[in-house]
Formats: sequence, C-alpha cells, structure tokens
Amino acid sequence: MKAISRDLTWTPFLSLLRREVARFMKVIAQTVVTPIVNSTLYMMIFGVSLGQQIHLEGDIPYLAFLIPGLVMMACLNNAFQNSSSSIISSKFSGDLEDLRASPLSLNQIIWALNIAALMRGLMVGAITFLVGQAAYLFTFHELLPVAHPFILFVYLILGALAFASIGICVAFWAKNFDQMSAVGGFVLLPLIYLGGVFFSVDHLPPFWKTVSMYNPLLYMINGVRFGILGTSDVPTAWALPVSIAATIVTMAFARRVIGRGNFQRW
Amino acid sequence: MIQNDPTAPSALSIDNVIKSYGTTEALKGVTFDIRPGEVFGLLGPNGAGKTSLISIIVTLEQATSGRVKVFGSDPALQPRQAKTNVGWVPQEIINHGYFNVEEIMEFHAGYYGVRDPKPRIKFLLDGLGLWEHRAKKVKQLSGGMKRRLMIAKALVHSPGLLLLDEPTAGVDVELRTRLWDFVSLLRSEGLTILLTTHYLEEAERLCDRVAIIHKGTLREMGPTRQLVEKFSRKKIIIKLQSPVSTMQHADLVSGAGTDWTFLVGMDKPLGALLREVNVSSDQLSDVQVAEGTLEDVFLKFTSNEVKA
Repeated sequence: MKAISRDLTWTPFLSLLRREVARFMKVIAQTVVTPIVNSTLYMMIFGVSLGQQIHLEGDIPYLAFLIPGLVMMACLNNAFQNSSSSIISSKFSGDLEDLRASPLSLNQIIWALNIAALMRGLMVGAITFLVGQAAYLFTFHELLPVAHPFILFVYLILGALAFASIGICVAFWAKNFDQMSAVGGFVLLPLIYLGGVFFSVDHLPPFWKTVSMYNPLLYMINGVRFGILGTSDVPTAWALPVSIAATIVTMAFARRVIGRGNFQRW
Repeated sequence: MIQNDPTAPSALSIDNVIKSYGTTEALKGVTFDIRPGEVFGLLGPNGAGKTSLISIIVTLEQATSGRVKVFGSDPALQPRQAKTNVGWVPQEIINHGYFNVEEIMEFHAGYYGVRDPKPRIKFLLDGLGLWEHRAKKVKQLSGGMKRRLMIAKALVHSPGLLLLDEPTAGVDVELRTRLWDFVSLLRSEGLTILLTTHYLEEAERLCDRVAIIHKGTLREMGPTRQLVEKFSRKKIIIKLQSPVSTMQHADLVSGAGTDWTFLVGMDKPLGALLREVNVSSDQLSDVQVAEGTLEDVFLKFTSNEVKA
C-alpha cells in the first residue's frame, strides 16, 4: 500500500472544526435568520415599546441596557445549541462513533466543537448587536457607542466557550431529545433570564439579589454590558475571575465527559 | 499475500479479552492473532460476541480485562499509532445527514491526518462505483451505495487492518460479488481483513483462516480448508413415509415429523445409521446425502443444543 503523508496534530482538529462550521452554515436559515427575527422582536417589544416606560439609574435608556443582554443571550444560546445539537444529531445518525474510532484526541474534539460553537455564538451575537444598533438608531437617531471593545470580546468568548462546554456535557448525558430540551428549558433559560438580561439585579428584593450573585451568568452578562456601556451591576473586579473560573470548570467537565462518555449511536 | 515473518508484529492480537455487561459475560477470554495480509473470518450466530469484540478494537467499548494490539499498539493506550492503522465498517449505515459523499470522505480522511486525500478519494469512489454520486447525500443513495460508501470511508486513510462487521448484510448477490472483488484487489495490496459474516460460503471463499465464536467463547479456529476437512461431516437427510415424534442419535442435528437431518462421519455407511435409529428401508420415502461445508463446522460448534 502506498505511503501517505499524515499530520496528526493539526489536520484532524482542523477537519473536525471545518465539519462543525460547515454543519451550521448548511442550516444558515436556522442559525442566522431565526436569531435576526428573535432579536428584532425583543428589541421592538421590550426595548422600543415597553422600554420607554422604564427608567434606569444614570439616565441609561432601557434599549441601551437591553442590547448587551440580548447580544450575550444570543451568543450563549447559539454556542450551547451548536455543540449540543451537533452531538445529539451525530448520536442519532451514528457518526459520533467515527470520532471515537478515529485518532482524534480528547483535546482536539473538545476544542474543535467549542471553537465552532464560539464562531456561531459570535456570529449570531454580532447580528443581534447590528439589529440592536438599527433599533437604537431608529429610536435615538444615533448609534450606541462601544465603551470597551476588547473587554466585550473577552466576555463573549468566555461565555460562548462555557456554554459550548455545557452543551457537550448535556448532549453526552441526554438519553433522548426530551432530556436535552428539558435541560435547556428548565435550567439554562432561567439562569440566562435571571442573569440580568432584561433587568438590573439592583431592582430585585434583597434575597433574590443575593441568590443572583451566585449565578455565574450574571457576571458574564454584566461583563458584556460593561464592554458596551462602560457600566455594570456587579463589580468588574469580580466579573472577570468568576467568568474565567466558570469557563475553565465547564471545559474541564466537558473533557471528562467526552473521555468517559458513550459514543455509541442511539 | 500473508507475511510469515515471525518477528513482525501481528496485524491484530487479541489476548484473553473478557467483556462483561453487569453479570452477563459477552466475551469470555477470547484469544487469537491475525497475521499481516491475512483475511480472517470471525463467525458466530447473533449475540456471539463478534460486534462486542470489534467495538473493543475501535475503542467504542472497553474490555473488562485482556489486551488488544493493532500492529503492536494498544488502541486504548496508544490510540494514534493503533487507530491510524484501522479502518472500520460498522454493521449499521451511518447517515451523515448534512454532507455529501465527497465531503464525508474528506472529513474522514482529515480525522486520520491525511494531508492530501483527493487522489485516494477518487481511487476509492471510482473503484466502488460512487464517483458519479459524489455530490449526493447519504439519504439519496441506494442501500448498496450506502454500504459501498461505508467501505470507501473505512479505506480512505489507507489502513493496514480493515474491520468488516457484517458488511454484506442485506446486500443483493450481484453487489456482494462486486464488493468482494474490490476487497480481493485491496487484499492483493497487503491489506489485512477481519471479517464477520453470516454468509458462510463467503467466508469459505475469502478467508485464509476462520474462528468460530459462540456465547463469548472461541470454539474452533484454523485455516478454512483444514477446518472444513477436519470437521467435514456427511449430511444425511432421511425422509420418512410417516412421521415419528422422536429420534435418538448423537449425530442428529435437527428434525421433526418425517424429515430428520444427521451430520455423520465420512466413513459411516448409510445402512449403519438407519440401523442405529431403527429405521428400515420400508419406512423410507427418500434419502439425501451431501458433502460437508464450512456451514457444517459452524453448526457443529454453535448448535449443539438443537440436538435431541
């Protein structure tokens, strides 16, 4: 048999990454168009319509408060959906078995899945931001300036990697589609909503404010808010370490789950 | 093209592999070696442990104990060395919903680190009659094409060992023949093949050696021709004019009513068998005698409980 040229360091990782990106690009209507519709509805109903009746400290328009929350929510949701739906559909079709049988290492699998999810999260986050800018321009006749672009980018990356890792864990754990959607609906959605996407935790009763302070998403969402508006509900000195720690823990957990997980088809 | 160099590592070495699922032992200490270039048939009824063993080789499952080595490397401990040498055709078709044939092949080659897979992809898709279907998705392919795609995919990284788990199940005779012609071509290039199949005539035609596995234990192993000769039994089917409820004989394989089948030694005369089962020539309607095949060997080691 003729000898072939192999590279087991980058080629397997890049192939899986290309596959994962190609997968979500093939369903572009679902991955991009749907978030545009969702974001537009949120902006119009909450930001433009109801937002005129909401007054925040520091005279920040509610729409300006809402945009960072929606950007992060879109980014997190899409990162989670990308890694989890990729694994679930691969379990269903059987091609998850190919990953186990191939020489792909755990690190190559987890980074390829996470980076693809990050790319989708950032893409949909950027689209949501553009929709938000359009709504802001329509309402206030000016664009919303970005206070700290680098910090914004850092929090989006940390959040997307953490949620992609959670998506991997849940997809390996789930035995069927019901379990998968139950985790999304009963655990992640409340965490996102209670993480201060739509409201400031300062407006919560003291007990619920204390509870919210234990939600790592509060720090990630406020990190993005600080990146765009330059203000945050939580101390910025806390937000970065909590977000980094949450990302490292979820990625480590995902690595463990992939190492011990069942790759066999449903 | 079997390599007989005793210093060369086995293409596949299975050493006392045990696999338990709770209290059920699917593999009870299976041991065998496959030499490079050999076509080895692993035969057994459903639930014998064939797929469990293949799942352990490709690391989908972990052996409870024992060792597996592919060209000297343990797939669980040295996955890169071992797995680049293995191509695997699973029993069930993999769908790959979003991608077409060419994309599936490219991604798969990439997983195995192949830098420039296009020439190999063209060679395989051409050889298996899939090149003109390369832009189709799996669901647009016929059953036979899907099966051929599985084989092409397993060979895209030029493995030294090909694991074929029931590759021709549900495939029509013409396609099966084409598949084996292609596999024979690859074999002539030095590919080692582990084949599990239900088609015993296929195993008899293709395999240099076969092992018969039943209830997790290797019952017999050896060169195919030698096994057939060693365990070759004359099949005698006795058809009676009127049914009998039972018949007692050590060589009885199956039977009920008027039809009774025996596998006897080549030197046993028909008359002796008839005397031993108390059947006179007057009771006979017909007698059929057939030479033994690999199927007889298979039945001998897997169907003892059928005997009365």
